[in-house]
Amino acid sequence: MTMLSRVADRLYWMARYLERAENTARFTSAYTHLVMDLPRGADLGWQVLVDILDAEPTFLERHRVFNEQNVLRFLIADLKHASSISFSIKAARENVRTTRDVLPEETWEHVNELHIMCKDLAEKSVGRRHRYEFLEQIISRCQMINGLLMTTLCRDHPHRFIKLGHLIERADMTTRIIDVGAGAILGREDSNPAEDTLLWSTMLQSLSAISAYRHKIGPLVEADSAVNFIFKETSLPRTLAFCLNGILNELKPLKNNEDATKVAESALNKLTRFDAQKKTFEELHQFIDQFQVYLCDLDEAITNTWFLPAPSS
Amino acid sequence: MKINWKAYDSQSFFDELLTANGNPRLAARGIIKFLQNLPDEELGERRAAAELAIRDMGISFTVYTEGGNIDRNWPFDIIPRSISSKEWAKVSAGLKQRSRALNRFIDDVYNKQSILKDGIVPADIVLQSSNYKPQCRGVSPRYGAWAHICGSDLVRNKDGKFYVLEDNLRVPSGVSYMLENREITKRVLPELFENYSIRPVDDYPSQLYRTLASLSPRQNRKPCIVVLTPGIYNSAYFEHAFLAQSMGAELVEGSDLFTDDDDCVYMRTVDGPMRVDVVYRRIDEDFIDPEAFREDSMLGVPGIMRAWKAGNLAIANAPGSGVADDKVIYAFVPDMIRYYLKEEPLMESIKTYLCMLEKDREYVLANLDKLVVKPANESGGYGMMVGPHASAEKRREFAALIEKNPRNYIAQPTLSLSTAPTYIDHQLEPRHLDLRPFILQGKDTWVTPGGLTRVAMIKGSLVVNSSQGGGSKDTWIVESNK
Repeated sequence: MTMLSRVADRLYWMARYLERAENTARFTSAYTHLVMDLPRGADLGWQVLVDILDAEPTFLERHRVFNEQNVLRFLIADLKHASSISFSIKAARENVRTTRDVLPEETWEHVNELHIMCKDLAEKSVGRRHRYEFLEQIISRCQMINGLLMTTLCRDHPHRFIKLGHLIERADMTTRIIDVGAGAILGREDSNPAEDTLLWSTMLQSLSAISAYRHKIGPLVEADSAVNFIFKETSLPRTLAFCLNGILNELKPLKNNEDATKVAESALNKLTRFDAQKKTFEELHQFIDQFQVYLCDLDEAITNTWFLPAPSS
Repeated sequence: MKINWKAYDSQSFFDELLTANGNPRLAARGIIKFLQNLPDEELGERRAAAELAIRDMGISFTVYTEGGNIDRNWPFDIIPRSISSKEWAKVSAGLKQRSRALNRFIDDVYNKQSILKDGIVPADIVLQSSNYKPQCRGVSPRYGAWAHICGSDLVRNKDGKFYVLEDNLRVPSGVSYMLENREITKRVLPELFENYSIRPVDDYPSQLYRTLASLSPRQNRKPCIVVLTPGIYNSAYFEHAFLAQSMGAELVEGSDLFTDDDDCVYMRTVDGPMRVDVVYRRIDEDFIDPEAFREDSMLGVPGIMRAWKAGNLAIANAPGSGVADDKVIYAFVPDMIRYYLKEEPLMESIKTYLCMLEKDREYVLANLDKLVVKPANESGGYGMMVGPHASAEKRREFAALIEKNPRNYIAQPTLSLSTAPTYIDHQLEPRHLDLRPFILQGKDTWVTPGGLTRVAMIKGSLVVNSSQGGGSKDTWIVESNK
């Protein structure tokens, strides 16, 4: 079938934005829960959430203090910030608006409803009272849209580009959450093992990986095995290994896939050789940085190979 | 529903469903009978169902406002407008004749110019018109067809005859609403279709596809057809997407296409460049090629005119078609029909006074209170004056404009637009309407059975544009020989 480069581009970004919104909702929700469990004085502050999105400069342009209210407004309702939930959903909707003809009919309706819901409730949900319900709504609606796409879409070009966007964004968000989470946990001055377990569990929870971990590894969550699990377990759709294998699979049937495949294979090799057991946090952080460079290169290879060239003027 | 037909007063206008003494017209008998037997309130329920269907089907149009663009649901009146097939046969023949003559004219003007040399149409009004594009000289598209899709606006006057108000030969829109209107009517008034024989309209996308495919420069293979849209912010984007989807064509924007050194146009796909055979353009010709027309256009495709001139690409409507879509040229259409086809015109045109001619101008200036004055090159009702409704000051202003630039103005007698019963505030009231049929011209000529009826929802108003409070009705061509 024929597929316009522009349409491929928009589907890819639709998937990235949906995944971004869901992930932001996930870690925000998990973190809010965690804060309630921690003893007074032990909490990690709210800046962590901004750091996950690498958005400190943007944040400081509009707020001075990293308090709960400011950070949550920034993550949930700020329409000018490209990683906020509101922005992501608006951007996903814009991308669907112009690709309706290649998607299952109900997609537009659902994305549109999600957008209306978000527009109406985002501001109200900054405070703790409605926050949980709102974030749950975002997560479940994103899941529903993904489910709709996965159960009705032809396994053809549109499906491939949606999958690519979805997997790259997911791998990216997973590394961000681990990077910042591990840094915050390990960087505390007076850490105690009981709290560490709680913190690592929360992190796995925000990656919807906690029950899989318990099944495969055991009930006690430890730092090294948690990192290894979330990076290398091939059966869980949230892990880096799963995302990379998925990406390689989607690339296979596409023409001119050499550049992108090469990057994805290098990233997979790098990941295979990695073992969290013997690593300091510094080394972990370094690895994540390198891994994110691979993801950027992959995005660039996909953009250059299949999407519209940028206007020359 | 009891209908108080005494309260229904279409005054002296021609009513589409009722005769002057209040009896249903032949083609409308079933509709009127159905309405009379419908229990009270049910019409309101049917209308609510129609509104819901419109929302669910996502039928919308875009209104430009200062606060941004708003998608509005399509305003629809559920009472259909009916025309007998016998009457329609005449209208249809008249439209085909007109389309043939107009296409002959465009082809002539860009090639031999015999109609100008023979003095039937004054050469200077054609060659000096901004709609005449010298870039198109010497091009002769397949079958001599330039205006492949024409959407003529018809009105019915007091005398009961259809008149052509204007021939839209550039990028006429509205056909998707014609199709959707029928779809909605089938959903909300299904019983009516049982006892009536109504011509189906949903053939349009396949007829359009056939017309476009007949233009392909590579006749030995399945043509690659694209619909070129200015994008999501255009008010007719819904229609562009609809037509592309129902023809199985790609909906493209300018940046999706490029012209290569071989003077062929290609579309950028994930599998690499793919050659395009036919472009159904929904952007104005001034914007289609920054190399040939407006340099600042971001919407177009550089070099597309080269490809078209080289015969490697068909463009519908062909660039330059607008030369016959000019209110001054309109006055000469009957003469064109006689000149090219050696036939008498079958459709009525409206008597048109050309302000550039001294005799006409004198008449216009002396009768401004009775005439409608229109600028020659604008469409959509902009910059015109309706004499009987205008203030003395407005008339003086137009008199000055005419004196200053007579070529730019024409005048016509005011027409009385026909009416049809329209559901307003729980009762039926007469509202004015027009009709836009679509004429396709490729290898063959084809006319839609009916077309898009637009209705002015405001009492007494003649403005049917959807951006200004107009609505629409389903249009039925009813078999009359049953």
